Amino acid sequence: MGIITTDQLVHEYIRRDENGDEIGREQALRGVSIDIPAGSFIAVLGANGSGKSTFAKHLNALLNPTSGTVIVNGLDTRKEENQWDIRKSAGMVFQNPDNQIVATVVEEDVAFGPENLGVKQEELQGRVDEALKKVGMFEYRYHSPNRLSGGQKQRVAVAGIMAMRPSCIIMDEPTAMLDPNGRKEVIDTVHQLNKEEGITVILITHYMDEVVGADYIYVMDHGEVAMEGTPREIFTHVKELSDIRLSVPCATELCHRLREAGISMELSGVLTSKDFVNAYRNTHFTDLSKESIKNPNSAENALKSPNTVREEGASGDGEHLDNNEVLLELQNVCYTYSEGTTYEKKALKNMNLKIHEGEFVGLIGHTGSGKSTLIQHLNGLVKPTSGKVMFKGEDIHGEKYSKKALRSNVGLVFQYPEYQLFEATVLKDVCFGPKNLGLSQEEAEKKAKEALALVHIDETMYNSNPLELSGGQKRRVAIAGVLAMSPKVLVLDEPTAGLDPVGHDEILQEINHIHEETGMTVVLVSHSMEDVAEYADRVVVMSDGECKLYGTPQQVFRNVSELESMGLAAPQVSYIMQMLHAEGLAKEAFAITLDQAVNALLSERRETR
Amino acid sequence: MIRDITIGQYYPVDSVIHRLDPRTKLFGTLVYIVSLFCFDNFLGFVAAAAFFAGIVILSKVPFSYICRGLRPIIILLMFTVLFNIFFTPGRILLQWKFIKITYEGLYRAGFMGVRLILLILGSSMMTFTTTPTQLTDGLERAMSPLKIVRFPVHDIAMMMSIALRFIPILLEETDKIMKAQQARGADFETGNIFHRAKALIPIFIPLLVSAFRRAFDLAMAMEARCYRGDKGRTKLHPLRYKFRDGIAYLYFAVYIAVIILLRKWI
Repeated sequence: MGIITTDQLVHEYIRRDENGDEIGREQALRGVSIDIPAGSFIAVLGANGSGKSTFAKHLNALLNPTSGTVIVNGLDTRKEENQWDIRKSAGMVFQNPDNQIVATVVEEDVAFGPENLGVKQEELQGRVDEALKKVGMFEYRYHSPNRLSGGQKQRVAVAGIMAMRPSCIIMDEPTAMLDPNGRKEVIDTVHQLNKEEGITVILITHYMDEVVGADYIYVMDHGEVAMEGTPREIFTHVKELSDIRLSVPCATELCHRLREAGISMELSGVLTSKDFVNAYRNTHFTDLSKESIKNPNSAENALKSPNTVREEGASGDGEHLDNNEVLLELQNVCYTYSEGTTYEKKALKNMNLKIHEGEFVGLIGHTGSGKSTLIQHLNGLVKPTSGKVMFKGEDIHGEKYSKKALRSNVGLVFQYPEYQLFEATVLKDVCFGPKNLGLSQEEAEKKAKEALALVHIDETMYNSNPLELSGGQKRRVAIAGVLAMSPKVLVLDEPTAGLDPVGHDEILQEINHIHEETGMTVVLVSHSMEDVAEYADRVVVMSDGECKLYGTPQQVFRNVSELESMGLAAPQVSYIMQMLHAEGLAKEAFAITLDQAVNALLSERRETR
Repeated sequence: MIRDITIGQYYPVDSVIHRLDPRTKLFGTLVYIVSLFCFDNFLGFVAAAAFFAGIVILSKVPFSYICRGLRPIIILLMFTVLFNIFFTPGRILLQWKFIKITYEGLYRAGFMGVRLILLILGSSMMTFTTTPTQLTDGLERAMSPLKIVRFPVHDIAMMMSIALRFIPILLEETDKIMKAQQARGADFETGNIFHRAKALIPIFIPLLVSAFRRAFDLAMAMEARCYRGDKGRTKLHPLRYKFRDGIAYLYFAVYIAVIILLRKWI
């Protein structure tokens, strides 16, 4: 028997009316049985609403089973006298970095757990320092948590658990609210703790890349374990995973697509780029001789040389848009926060940018590069310290310029927009924008209904309370709230943050659909290079308050080393292509989307046959 | 950025006053405030000012910085002084129609003004030299005798420190929600008072929802980290009196002696 076992675990959420009478039951878990051996790294995968968070709370005795049992370290979670020991040995890290830090100083927060355990005062400082060193946050011990990045805050939370000396850490979507660098920081840290300290890790997530290194995976769907096995076993089920709103790592997906196109390569075991290259080599066709590829080792050169460019697909050929009218223009915009204080920060430094009508602009840059500040300039929420912002050639901060008109023309959707919903019903909330523009109730409702239709929220939900919808639905309603103002330009700050893989794709496809159908100009802020490569006509790369790269995705993603020096990367598939090329397995060395890679590889097959 | 707002205007330098135990400082502040209301002549204020000056010098907080604390109460100060000048009966010094200024009025105005200034300056020294966390700790320990009568001292201190942790986060969130509603055409700047109050609903409701969500999350996270009130709880940095606190108490004792002497013999 392992360190954590559950047997036929069932959990029901009971909904009650105002009088406390039961009005409904919802089964969040329906008979989950697992057995986790000590010292292992276990991943629990599942889409939003699959019951994985409920499951995690059971392992920490934060919830009581409706039926079935949970045994942690030999202790039954149902007995109240065991709770204390269970929480001591199985620590839990939660999703929101801000909402789990108690103290105003890092070191005091880490001490919170051991203090509660009554660890002797002489021993406390040693434990805190040791835990902070283990997660690499020792030098921040006197800092205020408010000034740390998301990844750093999560590492502090991990240290807070480590200081309690647990044998097991349960992490409930610890990376859902982080940027890619923060995610990597946290995942690397827990892997290290697992290897070096022998801590059992249970990682709950919906990011496929994070679970590749796990020993064993449980896939949850509708409160049940739908699949279990090693990553190699799980990720051969591409189709089944996508049916339960999950995806597979990029390399696996590429392999799957090639197989569907008729190339008989081995799918099992392809998780990373390296696996893919090996599998591709093994299935490889002897007829593609090495001589047919010149200089196989000069992949880097090939990437940069324009001769190998093969423009394909709809994405990437944004040149024709240059002739369209310039909708938004930034001229030498500078912006400084807290000017004149010790916290002064130059968020934008001499930013120049033109956004043409009908463009789909992807805005990328690591956290703190000035992206959020930039987009707030686009609808006049923030006034530049110097420089000009023009909409259709007029200065938006000019004396007679109407801010209201500007805000109806430039719609801005903030990150986690569902937190801004406030009305009692979906329809009323979406009407808020159009009504502010002075439209009558009927007109506003008409606009709202059109907007809701665009994001596929059907009539049955119009009178629901927005807070009772699912995460993806709330997000759609919030986006509709901006669309209802019929903006010319739609600016979205990471509209897919925190959504599961299928929810992520759905939102982006809807946005792209709106862009294509209505010709609306879109500015998409994203951390995902894949999304930008897939949908954008133009890419703006920001770093340190400046625009470092600008061009079509084809042009921008060629500058791999430059992107990496800014803490960014090229889309994963482009690394695979580069490796294939370097190994002499492909002539083409460049692709930024899966489609491009599949087409390139297939056409090479045809040529060489 | 809004998160840079400091609560309690803590002035971050290292001085002997900063390093004093917060309980010592609480006691000192209390003695000082009470003393200001014991004096009935200017000589007492000279003593209080001398006591205060000693602390200011040791604290390394620039005097001009301390005086900035007077800015918000300048109107109150003016009002007090003028009221005393014009409405105290006594020997008339100047008279113009119904407005008269008396000797007693001038004296009282000066007296009240000095008392108010010394009061504000003195009590702000506490927040300049003590972080909110230390202050909470100090209050918790200083009030711990109240536990005997079942007064929830620990719980209140914990709430205070959580409030301190979340005020900057909620301020930032308010800013974000305001901007988001402005982006949807909301207008907070024009219209009459009712209109403006109504315009705040789209900010308050999401903020309230968010505060409850955070409270729920935090409670769960605290529970997961074995929190169960102060039962069996230890502390990373427990408050401990040092030698310098002894010196400080001695300084207070001398000051108290001076007050008593002044009351008795002058």
